[in-house]
Amino acid sequence: MNVIILSAILGVIMMYTGVMSKNKSTARYVATAGILALIGANWLEFAGVNFFNIDTRGMLEFTSFGLVFNLIILVCTLVYFLLSGKDLEEVGANAADYFALIFFILTGIAIVSAFKTMLMLFIGIEIISIPLYILAGSDKKNLRSNEAALKYFLMGSFSTGLMLMGIALLYGATGTFYTDGMYLGLGNITVMKMAGLVLLMISLGFKVSAVPFHFWTPDVYDGSPTVFTSFMATIVKAAFFIAFLLLFENAFGRMHSEWQFAMALITAATLIIGNITAVFQQSVKRMLAYSSIAQAGFMLLAIFALNNIGKQGLILYTAAYSLPTIGIFAVLMRMKDYTYEGFNGFAKHQPLLAALLAVFLFSLAGIPLTGGFFAKYYMLVAAMKNGAMFWLVIIGVCCAAISVYYYFRIIQAMYFREGADPGIQVSEGFKTVLVLTAVLVIILGVHPDWLLHLLDN
Amino acid sequence: MSKLIYLVPLFPLLGFLINGLGRKYLSKSLVSIIGSGTILASFIVSLMIFFEVKAPGFAPQVVTLFDFIDVAKLKISFAFQVDQLSALFLLIITGVGFLIHLYSSAYMHEETPPHFARYFAYLNLFVFSMLLLVLGANFVIMFMGWEGVGLCSYLLIGYWFKNDDYNKAAKKAFVMNRIGDLGFLLGIFWMISQFGSTDFSVVFAGADGTPVKILTGITLLLFVGAMGKSAQIPLYTWLPDAMAGPTPVSALIHAATMVTAGIYMIARSNIMYTLSPVTQAVVAITGLATALFAASIALKQNDIKKVLAYSTVSQLGYMFLGLGVGAYTGAVFHVMTHAFFKALLFLGAGSVIHAMHHEQDIRNMGGLKKHLPITHITFLLGCLAIAGIPPLSGFFSKDEILTAAFLKSPVFWVLGVLGALMTAFYMFRLYAMTFLGKFRGTHDQEHHLHESPAAMTIPLVVLALLSVFGGFIGVPEVLMKNGHQLENYLAPVFAQSTAKMHEEHHLSHVMEYMMMFGVAAIILVIIIIAWNKFSRYQKTTAEATGLGRVLENKWYVDEIYDTVISRPLLGFSSFLSKFDKIFIDGIVNGVGRLVQYSSRQLRWIQSGQVGSYILIMVTATILLFIIQFFWKS
Amino acid sequence: MPINYYIFLAITLFCIGIVGVLTRRNAIIIFMCIELMLNAVNILLVAFSKMHYLAAATANPATNVGSEAQLFVFFIMVVAAAEVTVGLAIIVMMYRNIHSVDINFLNRLKH
Repeated sequence: MNVIILSAILGVIMMYTGVMSKNKSTARYVATAGILALIGANWLEFAGVNFFNIDTRGMLEFTSFGLVFNLIILVCTLVYFLLSGKDLEEVGANAADYFALIFFILTGIAIVSAFKTMLMLFIGIEIISIPLYILAGSDKKNLRSNEAALKYFLMGSFSTGLMLMGIALLYGATGTFYTDGMYLGLGNITVMKMAGLVLLMISLGFKVSAVPFHFWTPDVYDGSPTVFTSFMATIVKAAFFIAFLLLFENAFGRMHSEWQFAMALITAATLIIGNITAVFQQSVKRMLAYSSIAQAGFMLLAIFALNNIGKQGLILYTAAYSLPTIGIFAVLMRMKDYTYEGFNGFAKHQPLLAALLAVFLFSLAGIPLTGGFFAKYYMLVAAMKNGAMFWLVIIGVCCAAISVYYYFRIIQAMYFREGADPGIQVSEGFKTVLVLTAVLVIILGVHPDWLLHLLDN
Repeated sequence: MSKLIYLVPLFPLLGFLINGLGRKYLSKSLVSIIGSGTILASFIVSLMIFFEVKAPGFAPQVVTLFDFIDVAKLKISFAFQVDQLSALFLLIITGVGFLIHLYSSAYMHEETPPHFARYFAYLNLFVFSMLLLVLGANFVIMFMGWEGVGLCSYLLIGYWFKNDDYNKAAKKAFVMNRIGDLGFLLGIFWMISQFGSTDFSVVFAGADGTPVKILTGITLLLFVGAMGKSAQIPLYTWLPDAMAGPTPVSALIHAATMVTAGIYMIARSNIMYTLSPVTQAVVAITGLATALFAASIALKQNDIKKVLAYSTVSQLGYMFLGLGVGAYTGAVFHVMTHAFFKALLFLGAGSVIHAMHHEQDIRNMGGLKKHLPITHITFLLGCLAIAGIPPLSGFFSKDEILTAAFLKSPVFWVLGVLGALMTAFYMFRLYAMTFLGKFRGTHDQEHHLHESPAAMTIPLVVLALLSVFGGFIGVPEVLMKNGHQLENYLAPVFAQSTAKMHEEHHLSHVMEYMMMFGVAAIILVIIIIAWNKFSRYQKTTAEATGLGRVLENKWYVDEIYDTVISRPLLGFSSFLSKFDKIFIDGIVNGVGRLVQYSSRQLRWIQSGQVGSYILIMVTATILLFIIQFFWKS
Repeated sequence: MPINYYIFLAITLFCIGIVGVLTRRNAIIIFMCIELMLNAVNILLVAFSKMHYLAAATANPATNVGSEAQLFVFFIMVVAAAEVTVGLAIIVMMYRNIHSVDINFLNRLKH
């Protein structure tokens, strides 16, 4: 609750900051302070201190799972602000508004990590989506940004329509919006219920860019200003996954076996298409878009398996995928050339950045001693524990192997090719934050329990 | 005292670490003090342990340092065996080892300090591994030492790594040893599956009652390991090549200690061999064949170290013959005496080489008697000892083996004696060509001839004394009542085997005297012939013909191995590499190309058109509905 | 009237919306079709609300069962309005840049 309300207030504050302050950087400092405050508030709520005593019974429920997830999201946002805050100011004239939108999105994320009814799910998802349409098109003069925004908007609202239809059908069948109240147990499955479930699966699959509903992803991620791609591909994507998982666990958990096969098909398709299509990309930014689809395939395993290990794995995945991706994007934003060739000889000119990038790429590829390894490991174990459909695990392992190819292409370019100095300037502070992020990634890879123990509270 | 056993290998290990890590900072004198001092310390501790073990009423002990491997039922602890056999080997290794370290400090003085320290570090590591080998209370620890000495041997043969031939020799030694080690390892695995343990106590207690077939299998595999390490037919060819290493290394590793590891191993597991007569026969025949074969090659070699190398192979063959006919004490006795006189001969050869400025061809020597008096005397004593002239040490040990062989089969004895005669011949050929006659080298060499420094001659003298008197601890029963102290000393180790062996039919005393001194007399004749013939040796350019040529070329064994084994192997491997490139790589690259191809094709779905995106989404939605409603998996 | 009629009406409207999205090229019309889909959902929700209320009212006339669906409709309308604001702004922005609202021109980003 703390985060939802404070974040909404902070969003409003940011808008006023934009009006009151002439200095561009003020917004960034306020936003960073605001995120720190949110982390503190979330931590306090975790410890049992609530600022707002509001009865949200039946609407929202704040579990340790959701709070830990919020914590990770907020820390990732903090890292994002620290690394990319400056670039965010340079997108357009209204830097403070972008920060405000991001805070609104955080409100939406806090809602979807706690929802107990379809209404809150719908509102949360829309609160996340609508600001994203704006952010995608924030580079107003850039046709690519325009196109990304319009595509995202049209397809996004189409999927909203599907989701609402699904919710309506479920309501018709069960007479309630409460996820716990649906009791969609085996025995009493009607056509209407099943249709509602499939529509929800599709619309949420769209949001997390599951194949074959992923088409918007590469275009939107590619066209949007890179600084917002970074945010969309990491923090927002993870939030949609939490919504997906919580909905299917709370509302449809009892009829798991009914929809498991469809979910397995979607997961397999996502893994295969995401990884294979990423192989041939020439632009690192677009490759990262496809890689986000590929990683989504692994996260979908948690929803397919729907067990405790999967839930833990999703938490781990959120951190182990978001942090490196934010780091890579932060460096990418400073490059003039987004192709692989742009990274040629990078290690010679920027040895520290190259080493950190290598750590991040290792994590994305799931190499041991980085967080990405345990994240993938948990997902595969969850799928295996599930018992059914072992072929999915095999596909997962093969796809993890394929992913090494396109991630290591960057490392290869950085270390084994000669190239001109990209001429990027980074401050000491940027380097420090990036090093700390890499350290976090490695800590996650050495001792993931450190994070997972929080869930036991 | 036996609790302090860990000190014995600890000292050389420390020496290795200090010399190895500090090789850039330590001066040469410091390095040699550390290198030799640690071995001396080990020797002193070994000596104290030896006296404790020798005292009446001593029971063999197993000192466990820590648990090494503990998996399921298999438990292997890092434990040391303290008994008569290991104490004796400790003395040989550390005693001879110390002398050779001392010798090395003078012999290697031309090296630069870092390389000098590297040499001593390797040497110390070798002594450490060798001690581990003989101290281990189970086969796994023994195997660790076994591998360790192999490694050090490789490092030291290739010590002058800038010479490519030396590197090849090192590689050859390593590969040959690996072949043997594989057999040893398989033997250990089989042992684990049979006895569930590799502890000596467990295995030897369980050996009696184990089916003979299994015992034969295990012992044969272990013997393959011994063949590699102790240079027996067919794995002996590495040892002559190993002479590429510095001469003190040849003396220590390739004569006195490492190559006797196989004999130690079989003596240690004597009960298993006693219980499997087939293996025993194999061991005896292999040993005898090697003894004769190597001796015949040695007859025609002209490199001073090569002669000694083949002589070593031949003497090792004798030891295996002894083991094969059940004369375990005799074999261990011969190990000991051989360590003395062969180390002496090698060090003497080193002294000659040192004086001759790295000239090793005996055709270019001669008449060194007056220039190198101490080396000459000691070398002569060594030759007499190895030839088996009473009452020098070689006489007693060789006699014991031959007597035991005679009891097994007179054929063994006849062939053994033949080998002994050849030994006498080639040793005195070597001696005569080196020290007698006229100097045949260049004037430059003659001018620089000089006796070696004290650090080299002292070990020579000590070893010469040991070679002369070392045999008296094993005087046969016939010559002296209770003369065979070594047998009494080692009796507990071989007690199990002695009990198993069939009633020995003793030879009559007359027979024994006849054999002993008859052989000695013939050997003496041979020596005189060789002495006469080769002290008047003149350089000739005439090519040897017939058998001589075959012997000169070492029976063409290297060439045979090359055509029969190496070439087909290389051919097969190049076939495999082609198969790998075309077929396996084809599959791998094919998969890679398939991924790339499908990646290129799949891109076209991403048409950029919102309309087609939504169409695909709707189609997929309908498909999902169909799957969900009509196709139940 | 039986509930089925409402369901058929809503589904029909929804499908018209989907087909419209698929066939039309004008961004504004596509957007209108999406609105049509949302409104079909609104009709459906109200119809279900009534249905559940009638089912519960026979037992307890004072029941408020079904009211939450009508509430939901208002939320959908609010969100749809917000979407319209943003969506139209995006379409206007695009029109300013390329003087067209035809989505076939959206093809810079592909493959």
